[in-house]
Order: sequence, then C-alpha cells, then structure tokens
Amino acid sequence: MAAFTYAPAIVLLPFVSFLVALFAGDRMPKGGALAGITATGGSLLLSIWVALTVAGGETYNQFVYTWVAGVESLQLRFGLLLDPLSALMLLIVCLISFLVHIFSLGYMNDEGETGLARYYAGLGLFTASMLGFVVANNLLMAFMFFELVGLCSYLLIGFWFREEGPPSAAKKAFLVTRFGDYFFLIGVVGIFATFGTGLFAPITQGGEVVAESFPVLAEHAVMDGETEAIAMLDTVGMSAQAWFTVLGLLVLGGVIGKSAQFPLHTWLPDAMEGPTPVSALIHAATMVAAGVYLVARMYGFYAISPTALAVIALVGGFTALFAATMGLVKQEIKQVLAYSTISQYGYMMLALGSGGYIAAVFHLTTHAVFKALLFLGAGSVIIAMHHNENMWDMGGLKERMPVTYWTFLSGSLALAGIVPFAGFWSKDEVLYEALIHGFGTEGGLGVAYLLAYAMGLLAVFFTGFYTFRMVYLTFHGNARSDTARDPHGVRWNVKGPLAVLGVLAATIGFINMKPVAELTGAHIDFLHVWLNGPEEGGWPALLSTDLHHYETLLHDVAHVTAGYPLGETTTLLASAGVSLGLALAGVLAARSLYAGPDPVEHTDKLGGLKTVLMHNYYQDEYQVWLATGVTYPVARAMDKFDQGVVDGVVNGVSSVSLFGGSRVRRIQSGLVSNYAMLLTLGLVLLLAFFGVVGGWF
Amino acid sequence: MIPAQTYLLLSAAVFCIGLFGILTRRNALIFLMSVELMLNAANINFVAFSLQHGNLTGQVFALFGMALAAAEVAIGIGIILVLYRNFTDVDVTKATTMRW
Repeated sequence: MAAFTYAPAIVLLPFVSFLVALFAGDRMPKGGALAGITATGGSLLLSIWVALTVAGGETYNQFVYTWVAGVESLQLRFGLLLDPLSALMLLIVCLISFLVHIFSLGYMNDEGETGLARYYAGLGLFTASMLGFVVANNLLMAFMFFELVGLCSYLLIGFWFREEGPPSAAKKAFLVTRFGDYFFLIGVVGIFATFGTGLFAPITQGGEVVAESFPVLAEHAVMDGETEAIAMLDTVGMSAQAWFTVLGLLVLGGVIGKSAQFPLHTWLPDAMEGPTPVSALIHAATMVAAGVYLVARMYGFYAISPTALAVIALVGGFTALFAATMGLVKQEIKQVLAYSTISQYGYMMLALGSGGYIAAVFHLTTHAVFKALLFLGAGSVIIAMHHNENMWDMGGLKERMPVTYWTFLSGSLALAGIVPFAGFWSKDEVLYEALIHGFGTEGGLGVAYLLAYAMGLLAVFFTGFYTFRMVYLTFHGNARSDTARDPHGVRWNVKGPLAVLGVLAATIGFINMKPVAELTGAHIDFLHVWLNGPEEGGWPALLSTDLHHYETLLHDVAHVTAGYPLGETTTLLASAGVSLGLALAGVLAARSLYAGPDPVEHTDKLGGLKTVLMHNYYQDEYQVWLATGVTYPVARAMDKFDQGVVDGVVNGVSSVSLFGGSRVRRIQSGLVSNYAMLLTLGLVLLLAFFGVVGGWF
Repeated sequence: MIPAQTYLLLSAAVFCIGLFGILTRRNALIFLMSVELMLNAANINFVAFSLQHGNLTGQVFALFGMALAAAEVAIGIGIILVLYRNFTDVDVTKATTMRW
C-alpha cells in the first residue's frame, strides 16, 4: 500500500516541473527541459511501482482533499482511484510524456527555438492534468482536469503564436472541444443531481461499501428496479434506463469532442500546426485518449444502456472509415497521421460500443505507442527536411536516416495492422468483438454492431493504403528536392525515443495475443487477466470496475451476446484472416502505386472525389456555414429582442421613476416652515385615518 | 380633585400655541420658543396622567423631558448663531439653499 501513499506525487511532480519551467525556465540550461524530464521520469517510476502494487492484488479508492464541503450530503472532493485500468493508463501517459520530453531536446532545443520555458511549462502542465484526469475517482474532478488538458492543448498548438496558422488552429481546437464539453458539463450536473455522487467506483472500508458510486446506483435502478432513491426520475418523467441513456449521451458529447469523433473531429488535423512533439504527446497518444478513457472509466454506466452503446459503436465505426478516406489524399506527412489518429480512435469507440472493453483498452495501449512513434518519426523527418512537411518533396530518406526509417516502418506496420506488430493484435480484437457481438445480439443493437463492423473492416484497407503511401513517398524512391538529397542530421535525443518506441511497437501486442491463446490454449492473454479480476469477489470486484462485472452487465441488461457463425475458433481465425488480408491488400496497393523511383499522384485519377476528399468532405465549410449562416442571424435576432423588448421594458420602468422623481422633488423647497406644515398635515391626516378606521368618532 | 380632562385641555392649548408659532413666525428664536412650548405641553400630559394613575413614572419622564429641552435649546441656539453668520439674519425663510 505504500505505493498508493505516494501516488499523488505522480500528478504533482509534473505540476512542479510546470512551475519551475514557468518561473525559472529562462535561467535554466535547456530552458527547463531537464526539470520536465526529471519530473516525468519520476512519475514513470512511481507509476511502475503503483502498477506492480496493483498487480499484487491491491486497489485504492480514497478521497484525498475536500475543496467544497456542503451542508448536507454534497461534497466536492479530489480523490484517487487506482485500479488496473488507471494504473495501465498512468504507465502509458508517463512513458510517452517522458520520451516526448527527451525528443523535444532534439526538436526544440537543437533547432534553436525561442520561448522554450513556455513550451516546457505547457508540457509539464499538460502531463500533470492528464495524470490527474487518469487517477480521478469522481466525475467532477475528471471534468476539471479534462478542461485543463484542453487548455494545455490550446496553449501548445498556439505555441508559434506569431505565425498566422497556429493561433487560429489553437482557437479552433479550443472552441470545438469546448462545444462537446458543454454537453459534458450538463451531463456532469445531471449525474450529480440524479445520484448525488460522481464517484466512478464505490469506496469500501473493510469489505463494507461506505460511499456508493453512480454506475452501481444506476445498475441497481435498472436491474433491480430500485428507483425510489432517485427523485430525479420523477422530475424528468422518464424510465430509469431512458434517463441514464440521456445522461450517458450528454457525457459522450465531451468524449466526441476530445477524442475527435465525427462530427467534432475537425479540430484535430488543424492542431498539427503545433510543434510535432506536442502532436505526438497530445493529439495522438494521450489527450485524445482522454475521451475514450472516460468511456472506459465509467463503462458500467454505458453497459446498461443499449442505445448509448449503439451510438458509440456507430459513431466509432463511421469515424474510422470516414477519417481513413480523407487520409488517402493528404500531401503533408502530419496530416496523414492526424487522419489516421481520428480513424484509430474510431476503432476504440467501436470496440467500447460493441462490448469489447479489453479490445478498446488494448487498442488504446498499442495505439499510444505506435502513434507516438509515428509522430516522433515524422518529427525526425521534419527536422531533416528543414520543416518542410510536404511528402512530395521527400523521397529516398531511407538510406540517409536508417534509424528513423526502421522505427517508422515498425510503427507503420503496427498502424496498418500487419502481423505480428502491435496494431494487428489490437485492431483484430476490436473487429472480432464487434463481429461476434453483432451476430450474437438480437434486434437493432446487433444490426448496429454489424454495420459498424463493416465500416471498421473497410477502413482496414484504407489504413494499410495511406500508411504505406506515406512510407513509400517519404523514404523510398528518388529524392525529389535538394533538402531531401542532403537532409539535416538528428542526434541521440531523437533516435533514443524512436528506438524505444520502435521496439515497443513491434512487441507490445504480445500482451494480449488472443488468437494465439485460443489456438494453443496457453494463458498468454495477460491484458485480459489484468483487467478481468477474479471470477468471484476479491479485488477489484468491490470496485465494480472489473471486466467480469462489465460482461455481466452487458449480457444481462443490454443483452449483448457473442455469436459464432462459424464456430468459435474458426470465426476468430476468419476474422483475423480477413482483416489481415485487407490490410495487406492496402499495403500492396500502395506499393504498386507508389513504390517506384519517381511516383506520381495517382489520386488525381479520382477526379471530383479527390477534390471532396482534399476538402475533408466540406466539414469545415458546413460548420462555418452553421456558425455564420445560422447561429449568427439567430444571435442577431436574439440581440434585437433583448435590446428592444427586454431592455425596453426595463428602460420604460426607469423613465417613469425618473419623471415621477423630477416632479415630486419640488416639495423639497428648503423652507423650514413648509416642512413643518407638511409634518403637521401628515399627522392630522394620520389621526383622521386612524380615527375613521378605529371608530373613534 | 381637578379632573384629568382639564389638564389635557390645557396641554392641547399650549401645544397648539407652539404649533401656531412654528407655522406662522419667521424668526428662528420664536421657533425655538414655540418648540419649547410643545415640549412642555407633553410634559403637562405626563404629569397629569402620573397624578391620575398615582404612578411616578410619568413625573420621571417629565424630568427627562426638561433635560431634553435644555439640551435642545443649547443646540438650537448654536444653529441659530450659525444661521446668523451665514445669512446675516435669523429669518428662517431666507435659508433656502438646501433645496431641489
């Protein structure tokens, strides 16, 4: 348990590095980078300690600080929830953040950027808030850190604020995610009003529950009909399940904004205006993961609502396909990666929606590693290319940057989902879960799953294609510009993080090789065991955040059942075979089109479709039109109403008072005798009044 | 014993004389005197009822009233002095600068 005593330091260390970099960064060597590296390194070590303790069967869920003490029951408190899910996420965030700090030495310091203190302060604050979000044990605390994460994203995207693009992209990211967070905020208030608590998991002492959590309360209300305690249901006049669906979908608004799901995905490609290490840390590996993590964190709440599950699965599947098609035609290396990020988070949402809790967490883990790797690799290429990001100016970098090439290839194979790299195992599991639950579940939910599965499967082909189009254009063929012929060298601080992540991207899939485990019968699905918990009681069953509990809920309430059209093993292998085949087909298609010494833009043959894809399906245009064409006139009309009618009434009332006052004040004549006269008259009138009323006469 | 109504009539008469003075005269000193008359009308009432009820409380209040009147005169004369300095007169109808 000692590890849990020090757990708050995981969050506080990067916060201290933020303060140090902010106030003393200018006077420090490397502009505060060393403070950040030390802090995230320390957090990483503490996270490993926490993860080992959790692996030993301990969990922790306590409040550590009360910042608003209400009169009755409602108290607003900070608390830590450390269970397998948050321990895993802590490891991911700390590791990526640590590596990105080191990489920044090469990308920012060696390139002679100014404002480094501001940069490292931003990274420190971001890491602290993300870690705070991960360990939060209640929804309000999660919301606060969720917003802080958004703020850091704004600060870091707009790091080069003197140029034209970054400030605009920063504002866009802030506003679009804020639009989603608006619904999230209403959802938070709704959940507090309904359940009186925002706890993710019940707090227990000696096996007794001392504070109940909202997913468990919701579960009791839906499964056992214990709705008496929830007065809110009478207020809204809905059934428990319908109201919980509404709350779940409101919270999902924040998730869709932050995890860049359709239709709020438009901010993420623009966010590539920020420094590349920031893109790696925030817009690929961690911040964007916050949305998906939130759904996983309160999965017990979603598991009891089939509608919310269907929405999550469909949004995820659609986003996976939609973003992948846009990635096909992009010319800038980071833009391709941005759309692939959106697409991959779509897969995670698809998995969560279709009951694949492990698959989602697994894909979250592997994606964090390989997408951070790809972004850092792209950063290395961008250093070499003197900050030219256009892939048509690259080519032939393979010989000149071998470390970058091989690590980037490892990440690309993982992203495309080629066996045995990380992405294959996790993406395959996502699709497999969607498939079997689509076949097994009856009614509309099953149809939704199959539809989402079909879209996800199609996206596999596009993923393979755009990934290897990027690889071939960047590293193969002949150099197409002078900078590509003589690229800028990179140092150890770039190659080191790339090497670590490159090895991880190739190997991290081995933590949950489900097909191999099924075939050989060996118990090597470690992630499954990690999240599952014991079959009966014990940890973390008391927390109600174990997989076993979620599967029971999914089965009993939403009736999500697995169906195997071809028998269990054959279905598993067929699913893996189909997705691998499609991925390979995508890779080979990219190879046949772009592998030559002087590739040409084959996408031109798409004609009008290419224009649509280059313009991102006119998503930005229609959102701008919504703002200027609809919202603005409505706001103008409201303003007229406000100025004319509301203010008119108020002004009218005040002018009556003013006019009356200007008349009445004339009795203030300054003559003492007049005052005395008025006093006397008043007295006489009063006496007469009381006399008449009191019956004196 | 003289009935209480007699005293009340006397007090009402004194009060009305004072009131008449305030409402009609312009000289601030006459004002002051008129106020004294009104105060003492109240004192007469106190003493009269005290006698009527055989209770000394009213007499005590009458003493308070006299002390109050003394204090009031002190302040009143001060005000009149200031009035004279500012307007070179003790006519209350001339001091009309505090108006709308």
